[in-house]
Amino acid sequence: MVGTLHLRSAPAVGESRLIRGTLIAIAVVFLSVFLLAPLAVVFAVALGQGVAAFFSTFSNPDTLSAIWLTLVAAAVAVPANLIFGIAAAWAIGKFQFVGKGILIALIDLPFSVSPVVAGLTYVLLFGAQGLLGPWLVAHNVHIIFAVPGIILATVFVTVPFVARELLPTMAAQGSEEEEAALTLGAGGWQTFLRVTLPNVKWALLYGVILCNARAMGEFGAVAVVSGHVAGLTNTMPLQIEILYNDYQFVPAFAVASLLALLALATLVVKSVIEWRIARRGARVT
Amino acid sequence: MADCATGGACNVSIAIRQITKKFGRFTALDNVDLDIPHGRLVALLGPSGSGKTTLLRIIAGLELADSGSVHFDGQDFSDRTVAQRRVGFVFQHYALFRHMTVFENIAFGLRVRPRASRPPRSAIRAQVEELLDLIQLRTLAGRYPSQLSGGQRQRVALARALAVEPRVLLLDEPFGALDAKVRYELRRWLRQLHDDVGVTSVFVTHDQEEALEVADQVAILNGGRIEQVGAPDDVYNRPASSFVYNFLGNVNLFHGRIDNGTAYINQEATGQLVFVRPHSLEIGRQPSGANYFRATIKHISSAGPVVKVDASTGWGAPVHVEMSQARFRELELRTGEEIFITPNDLAVFADEQRAG
Repeated sequence: MVGTLHLRSAPAVGESRLIRGTLIAIAVVFLSVFLLAPLAVVFAVALGQGVAAFFSTFSNPDTLSAIWLTLVAAAVAVPANLIFGIAAAWAIGKFQFVGKGILIALIDLPFSVSPVVAGLTYVLLFGAQGLLGPWLVAHNVHIIFAVPGIILATVFVTVPFVARELLPTMAAQGSEEEEAALTLGAGGWQTFLRVTLPNVKWALLYGVILCNARAMGEFGAVAVVSGHVAGLTNTMPLQIEILYNDYQFVPAFAVASLLALLALATLVVKSVIEWRIARRGARVT
Repeated sequence: MADCATGGACNVSIAIRQITKKFGRFTALDNVDLDIPHGRLVALLGPSGSGKTTLLRIIAGLELADSGSVHFDGQDFSDRTVAQRRVGFVFQHYALFRHMTVFENIAFGLRVRPRASRPPRSAIRAQVEELLDLIQLRTLAGRYPSQLSGGQRQRVALARALAVEPRVLLLDEPFGALDAKVRYELRRWLRQLHDDVGVTSVFVTHDQEEALEVADQVAILNGGRIEQVGAPDDVYNRPASSFVYNFLGNVNLFHGRIDNGTAYINQEATGQLVFVRPHSLEIGRQPSGANYFRATIKHISSAGPVVKVDASTGWGAPVHVEMSQARFRELELRTGEEIFITPNDLAVFADEQRAG
């Protein structure tokens, strides 16, 4: 049979115009009230007393130190996550071994555990009254209420991101291409760099972007281990809270707008990557 | 055979000695010995689960045997890595690098060589282009694997494997994922290519027609053991076991007994298995000679080069007969007619557990 395929706007399931309209309206209203409006408020308040007031926030040494610490935490957490994520996803996706299910569950743990609990476990482990506390004190190592604690907490909450993104991709691709590379004389490292990595690069980038956003935005776990030492152990989210509780609305929202901008940038990169993946998928099929 | 494994000059390219491989409780290979002669195209033929792909992967070094050894040109290679073995491996689903073009795929094996032995850029280009001509895909050098048809991907996989100038070429179900027509063309092309290039090649297949048509030598595997090795003509016409006879073509199976050189077949008799190929049964309107039985035609399938007739005997399983179109027209057979069937060529095997 030869004919043309008509693409009509009415879906096959045949909901009425009214139901469709209502569903779309609910989604739009919900997103506007709960997401767009707060975002707009952040920028409105931050710029409410003029651009000069906005920028003067960033000459405060405590605020600058908070931004710096956030960058440091992310700079450690993201690469650590990258290495761990690739290793874990590789192991789970391409090998069969005992305890695989447990490893997957462990990777998901930070998603299911409240960040505050995560922070508390570090305090219980490394704090002055904690399990390893006396030893650490004796050797003059400061983890809790210091920068290492912040980094540890950040690493903990971001553990699942890269591994979670890579797992389905790696499992779906199997290991035939790697085996092919080996038969062609490539070494393990060459195989990884030339075959494995290019095949998962978009999933990897996606995981890194999400991981970075979480690392910079994390509040709960970091708050517990930070101790709020101004200029020393405050990250951006903690600094925002302190400024806000201090009734310094413009600086608080100015820093918040910085985080919001990061979120928006993340969204843009994420969309671009998703678009690339979808296009790739379309080409493959 | 023994001197080949111990390093003497011989004509054997790959010698497989007492290879055993288990996956958990499943024995994939059970004490397998096999010689692959130089420059030959050898088929490993068997049903799924017979161990043929495992054997191929052990030769390549992609799988390690539990015991036994693999010798290349008389040297023990059992402990060498995949890369050291320098085998060309063509995977069943091609395993082309999806993010590389056809050209880059074929060049891969040359580009990953250590700097000292890596050919200069221009030499790599020349070699890849030569291979592209060989597989007749020069115009598609810039395409990605996803933009190729199955047959084209297969040829790229072959060229990629040949680029490293392997000492042997190993192919896992090379035509398994292709449709019938492409399959047929490609296996002839592979045979031609093998004759041109001359590299010792081993391919795995479950398709007996493919093995018998393409290979110089066929090794038939069953349940992790080699049942028979020989030229296609040998294994087809002189099968060593009932399994081989059964696997290499369609058969009619009768239970029977042998008495004084005469085979008696009917449903009560036991002790022996009597096989007859469908084309060795002769249909006549009159009884001919002393060996015949009566049957009734149940179904005729006359579309194709041979006419297939199913007949029932009343005393056993239905009988399948094949004949030429000319003979069919001559006999003017109709469904429901009573006929006389004379077996021309019987194969008799002892009725073991494994048979049938």
